[in-house]
Amino acid sequence: MQNESTIDPKIIEEVLKFSRNVIEAPKFVSAPDEINLEVTPHKVVQQIDKTRLLHYKPISGTKHKTPLLISYALINRYHILDIHPEKSWVRNLLEQGFEVYMLDWGTPTSMDKYLDFDDYVNGYLESSVEYIKNQSSTEQISLQGYCTGATIATAYTALHPENVKNYIATAPVIDGWKDTTVISNLAKHMDADKMVETIGNMPPEFMYYCFSVLKPFEQGIEKYVKFFKNIDDKKYVDNFLRVEKWLGDTPPIPGELFKQWIKDIYQENLLIQNKMHVGDELIDLKKIDMPMFTQVAVGDHLVSPECSMPLHYAVGSEDKTLKIYPTGHVGMIASSLSQKKVLPEMGTWLSERS
Amino acid sequence: MSSKPQALTSIGPMRAFAANSKKIAVELIEINENLLGFNQYITEYYKQLSETWGVAQKKVNQKAPKIPQDVEQIEAVKRIWIDIFDNDFTELFDSKKFGENYGNLVSKELELTKHWNNITNVILQSVNLPSKEEVDEVYKEIHSLKKRVSKVELELKKEKRKNAK
Repeated sequence: MQNESTIDPKIIEEVLKFSRNVIEAPKFVSAPDEINLEVTPHKVVQQIDKTRLLHYKPISGTKHKTPLLISYALINRYHILDIHPEKSWVRNLLEQGFEVYMLDWGTPTSMDKYLDFDDYVNGYLESSVEYIKNQSSTEQISLQGYCTGATIATAYTALHPENVKNYIATAPVIDGWKDTTVISNLAKHMDADKMVETIGNMPPEFMYYCFSVLKPFEQGIEKYVKFFKNIDDKKYVDNFLRVEKWLGDTPPIPGELFKQWIKDIYQENLLIQNKMHVGDELIDLKKIDMPMFTQVAVGDHLVSPECSMPLHYAVGSEDKTLKIYPTGHVGMIASSLSQKKVLPEMGTWLSERS
Repeated sequence: MSSKPQALTSIGPMRAFAANSKKIAVELIEINENLLGFNQYITEYYKQLSETWGVAQKKVNQKAPKIPQDVEQIEAVKRIWIDIFDNDFTELFDSKKFGENYGNLVSKELELTKHWNNITNVILQSVNLPSKEEVDEVYKEIHSLKKRVSKVELELKKEKRKNAK
């Protein structure tokens, strides 16, 4: 009896090719320092504490009177909105003729552990809005918030509706009890008081843990297998490294802000119930009465659509639009879908109102 | 009067050393107590992970019982493996039992950190450096002052703009 093992030669070929790719990877991969994530030219026009207000250089001339300010999330950095010339959210808006500003929250240190929602909403965001109003001689601006940046922008818009002509909420964190993500489950069982009292700011390492439990096998294994398989594809490698660099760079979150965010949004769910306070002021979402555009992604595993969509129904605006896209949290802002569908739709809506 | 002879024997740097040693010893005893709780939660954490792994692997074995023979089959099995593992682990991370245990685990870790902070504070004070609480007090004061200044500056800018119109 013959006992011969039959292995498909293609398997051996694939294994050898994969091994070669792994060995040769250092030749094709740039060092993190060599990757510049600031793609579109801009100027830092205002600096307060660690925050910076960026003004992007117009590309095709400004066609719309009302400038747009983007309030980026507190997790990772604003670079994802300008990650690559072909996938840049900012560049696309500039090409559509909008004047674009971005608020970079910077890197808080131990000294900033007492910064809270009030500092972010009525301090940094309000100062940026005032600066833009001054520079552009307008009484109102358009405001876009992304992820947790949209939570801050929502609070700001409710407290200062007179300054906001149009409000765009992209994957906003609003209704913590309806959020079906793993992040929300961890947040609901977290002793935020003890965490802040003991370690001050929310450390990046903890955020990396939270990222690691999101689709751990697709993101932790398959993603890297694909990377090594495509090591010859310069464009793929460049895109991959840019996103990886962005993913591996998240600043700490100021302790007091983090505490309020976990308790008020995820644990007690005060924002959607119009019971949340910023400083001494109560946030009433009904006061958001300007045109509003909400964007959510069905495959968002960081902020589920169920967490974002209640904002659309809670505001006082009569002119409001809700758009749902077949993509994920990052796919909505930095993908070919965002360039072909999400941004053109948002641009059309905004240009009609700017 | 009666305390004077005692004070005579306890003055000087050695007195502070003895008091600090006692404080550190108390913290170390409490760390040991906390470690018991920490070990309990971390055991449960890894138990949940390994049980989920076992169940997911069984599902993969049921769905793909044969050893893959070619590249396409390997790809298909890999896809099944990733999908099942991601689904099962997401279900675990999303469950109340995981959330509660993980919350308790982090809480115990923070208690251990707190004891470590307390020990550091004793050492810092013994060499005449400010404790964490004292530094925090300064940070709080700076934050409050900066906040007041920022609000005044912002109001001034608004006023200036109003007057310029």
